[in-house]
Amino acid sequence: MLRLTLKGLLAHKLRVALTALAIVLGVTFVTGTLVLTDTINNSFTSLFSKIYSHVDFEVRGVAAFSDQQGAGAVRQPVSDTLLGKVAAVPGVAASEGLVGGYAQFVGKDGKAITTGGAPTLGTTFGSKPELSALHPISGHGPTNSSQLAMDEGTAKKHGFNVGDRVTVLLPGPPATFTIAGIVRFGSADNLGGATLAAFTLPTAQKLFHVEGRVDSIEVAIAPGADKATVEHSIAKVLPTGVEVVPAQKVADEQSSAINNALGFFSTALLVFALISLFVGGFTILNTFSITVGQRTRELALLRIVGASRGQVFRSVMLEALVIGLLASIIGLGLGVAMAVGLEALLDAFGISLPKGALIFAPRTAIVGLAVGVGVTVVSAVSPARRAVRIAPIAALQGVQAGTEGNSLRRTVVGASFVLLGGAALGVGLSAPQISLVGLGAFLTFIGVGMLSPLVARPMASMLGRPLARLRGISGRLGRENSMRSPRRTAQTAAALMVGLALVSTIAVFGASLSRSATSSVSDAIAADYIAMATSQGGPPTGFSEAAAKTVAALPGVTLASPIYAGQAKVANSVTSITGLAPKDVGVTITLRMDQGDGTGALAGGQLLVDTTTATKDKLRVGQRLKVTFAETGPTTLTIGGIYKPNIILGSYLVGRSTFNAHFAAATLPLALLVSTSGVTSREMTTELTKGLAGYPNLTVQTRAEFEKTQEAQVNQLLGLVYALLALAIVVALIGIVNTLMLSVFERTREIGLLRAVGMSRRQVRTMIRAEAVILSVFGAVIGIVVGTGLGVALVTSLKDQGFTDLVVPWGNMVTFLVLAGLLGLAAASWPARRAARLNILEAIATE
Amino acid sequence: MTMIDTIEGSPTSARRPAASAVDLTKTYGTGDATVQALDGVTLEFGAGRFTAVMGPSGSGKSTLMHCMAGLDTPTSGTAFIGDAEIGSLDDKALTQLRRDKVGFIFQAFNLVPTLTARENITLPVDLAGGKVDEDWLRQVTDQLRITDRLGHRPSEMSGGQQQRVACARALVTRPELIFADEPTGNLDSNSSTEVLEFLRRSVTEFGQSIVMVTHDARGAAFADRVVFLADGRLVDELEDPTSDAILEKMKKLGG
Repeated sequence: MLRLTLKGLLAHKLRVALTALAIVLGVTFVTGTLVLTDTINNSFTSLFSKIYSHVDFEVRGVAAFSDQQGAGAVRQPVSDTLLGKVAAVPGVAASEGLVGGYAQFVGKDGKAITTGGAPTLGTTFGSKPELSALHPISGHGPTNSSQLAMDEGTAKKHGFNVGDRVTVLLPGPPATFTIAGIVRFGSADNLGGATLAAFTLPTAQKLFHVEGRVDSIEVAIAPGADKATVEHSIAKVLPTGVEVVPAQKVADEQSSAINNALGFFSTALLVFALISLFVGGFTILNTFSITVGQRTRELALLRIVGASRGQVFRSVMLEALVIGLLASIIGLGLGVAMAVGLEALLDAFGISLPKGALIFAPRTAIVGLAVGVGVTVVSAVSPARRAVRIAPIAALQGVQAGTEGNSLRRTVVGASFVLLGGAALGVGLSAPQISLVGLGAFLTFIGVGMLSPLVARPMASMLGRPLARLRGISGRLGRENSMRSPRRTAQTAAALMVGLALVSTIAVFGASLSRSATSSVSDAIAADYIAMATSQGGPPTGFSEAAAKTVAALPGVTLASPIYAGQAKVANSVTSITGLAPKDVGVTITLRMDQGDGTGALAGGQLLVDTTTATKDKLRVGQRLKVTFAETGPTTLTIGGIYKPNIILGSYLVGRSTFNAHFAAATLPLALLVSTSGVTSREMTTELTKGLAGYPNLTVQTRAEFEKTQEAQVNQLLGLVYALLALAIVVALIGIVNTLMLSVFERTREIGLLRAVGMSRRQVRTMIRAEAVILSVFGAVIGIVVGTGLGVALVTSLKDQGFTDLVVPWGNMVTFLVLAGLLGLAAASWPARRAARLNILEAIATE
Repeated sequence: MTMIDTIEGSPTSARRPAASAVDLTKTYGTGDATVQALDGVTLEFGAGRFTAVMGPSGSGKSTLMHCMAGLDTPTSGTAFIGDAEIGSLDDKALTQLRRDKVGFIFQAFNLVPTLTARENITLPVDLAGGKVDEDWLRQVTDQLRITDRLGHRPSEMSGGQQQRVACARALVTRPELIFADEPTGNLDSNSSTEVLEFLRRSVTEFGQSIVMVTHDARGAAFADRVVFLADGRLVDELEDPTSDAILEKMKKLGG
């Protein structure tokens, strides 16, 4: 039986290849993602280890709280008088204070150098090279307050040399320095695209507003000294709130912080890989169903000569296993290539990663093989069971298995899947529980896939009517062919259905998000202008406080309100708190109160909460909340009012004076809202732009422009998601190609006959294309209906999260439909050509 | 009168032949495996006549028909349908030819399963984007007694009915020539007779030209003329044949 299966596979190489392709793509994506993230993780881990390799301990403030373990923690600087005390500890060979903060270079073209999301770091250049992670490759470290050292990556990319003057944007006013040296960060020329400006310690203390204090003290012990003893001795000289930790721990914390951030990225990629594998599952199910049908006679003959039901079942499953295994192995190989490609792509986008060996963990191979083989085998179960039901007598009758109509059982099971999926979605969305939502969507798709044969005939007939009219007999034959086997049509279309359902869900979600964002801009901001520092595509970064003062002094400006945000622990979760001057309310910012007096509460040092949070955490006015700040520790704030969600402000809001009392002076504003005496005019815009010329990282926008930017950001995100969903669509198209090829093969004689009685090659192609278009539009229609439903459910459930508007972008849906038709045409091109090229004589002679 | 005379333009033959072949050869395979399916066949099929092609298995009768119908390309020699030389036509022109000038009746699988009987009959006209001659269609389907089955699909008809639908399709365009490849090979004797009688009538009454490949002497007896092939060569022929005369000849050929 095994040899028979393998021979069968060899005999149908093309079909096997097409079936396998769907799995190959999915496994490639899974493997590529895993290899890439492992490689990045490993690179950062080894990079940080290297950076801290000369250091034994770090002395630092104890984290007041942390949002994730380690490096994300907010820590207080420590007094620099500790420097001397630590240096005096026996066994300490060298120690040095470090200070860090915001420092963004301005390029030679006067534009701020942006990083695409990576930090723009300011730090100190240690006077003790044995402790320093920075190594000059030309020049030397800064020696006075007018010098700095620049990282090699930035210098190379933007053409800076030792001796050049460079302007740096800082928490205070921008300043210009002379480049004393170009440095390397560990052994790398940069750190994930981050830029680095290194100053002398006193300069850094002044620039980053931490005079008299340092962020940390790096310690190296004398050769031969006992580590534990030295650590213990250092700990003894430290005041409370300051700790000493092994350098390796710091390195681990930092690399795991980066790895955690990357984890999101890899999870997202894996989700899309799994979606395409799911779609690939439909393709496999369909291919196996068709081939089992076509092999009815052969399988029945096997039964006649004595094959048991079990043997027939195992032969089909074995075929799936072999295909799955082959495809997964190829996918593993291609995945490694994809990881290399992705790395190059990231590099092209300016996200340079530290160089490191490609990591192919055993786990990657196991996961890749498991999902690839798993999806293939599971998808083949239903066709294999159908093969088992073939009666031996079928060998003599020549009927095809699986062409029967819609069974009641199938309908009932399909309907239950839809109901179950709907229920899971409902619970998942209201909980909210993302995995339950995913499960619900998964079940719904399977259920709809099982039910769709019910409507396949009438739908194909309806969709095919215009084609039959436009394309005459070829169109009519295409239509008839698509109606011939409702189950085959439905299964082929199901793959595309899943892809388009997801695309439509995202379309509804995106359009609603976009509309909600813009309408919430006008609900949240009263100012005429908004200034923000954004690096392309990245989240807003902070900018110099001095900019706010500069703008406030400009003629025509009535009020310039900087908006501050900082992390604090409220109740038991780490969250962002916004700081705002009470006088800004109503002038630059719109605050719609549900309860309480906003301005009064802010001025009175109380806390304001938005409605969403208040509802979720059951908070009410007058309640006292425990809030922990990094700098000042725990305190209690009274809730003074509840406001409607505001996109600028976030969940918690305090007055500026309260904010300043609890956050370090170096905290940067995130946005600057500007009200002017007149209306927004070109003169005013020019005035503001000129006034902010010293801060090239700041972009000034009118409120209308700001709305557009918000919209553009949403669209950019949508574009990315669509691009990732394209993979699933491609897999679905492979399924269509496969089905059409099998249909052409199956109808060889019929096509030969048609050719014999006068059908031209072109008409043959038209016939196949018509079938493909009907198939894909059918899948698209169902997908769009299901997807729109899912999208509406999703947006409705997010009403409290700021999704105020529900938008169904019908225009997009029509575009999707047209695109699906065109993709169907594309998928048909190969099978159509093959059908048109059939040798008539051989076709007619085919048994 | 021999065929050669007619090709050379005998004044007594005002009508040109419906199809002709000149020195047609067809070789399959190479080297030791070479099979000479046709070995210099020259003949013609008269217009308005019913010609049967007979011969033992492997005599080349099907190959001759395929080459003359433009379904296969001869290794050398020329074949004509009317005035058109098949070898000089590209796929487009061949398609056109099959639509307008040639009708086919195969042994089995003559009909497109998704189309009704009527749609199957008018298929060549529909493919050409032409208009169906309803009167003619009616006449043909009445003759074939399938007028009441026109709305049915092939799966709802008996084998004999299906084959009669195929006959109607071959006739609907009033082609210069109908090629029938063992049209009764899959039918019981009643259905066979019905089909053969119809073919005979369409020659006598409508002046249709028909070439039928068969190995059934009874069927061949319906023809005006029988040509015999053996080993790829034209070896004999009979005018106004009877079953007995045909069987006699076949016995000699060892078929």
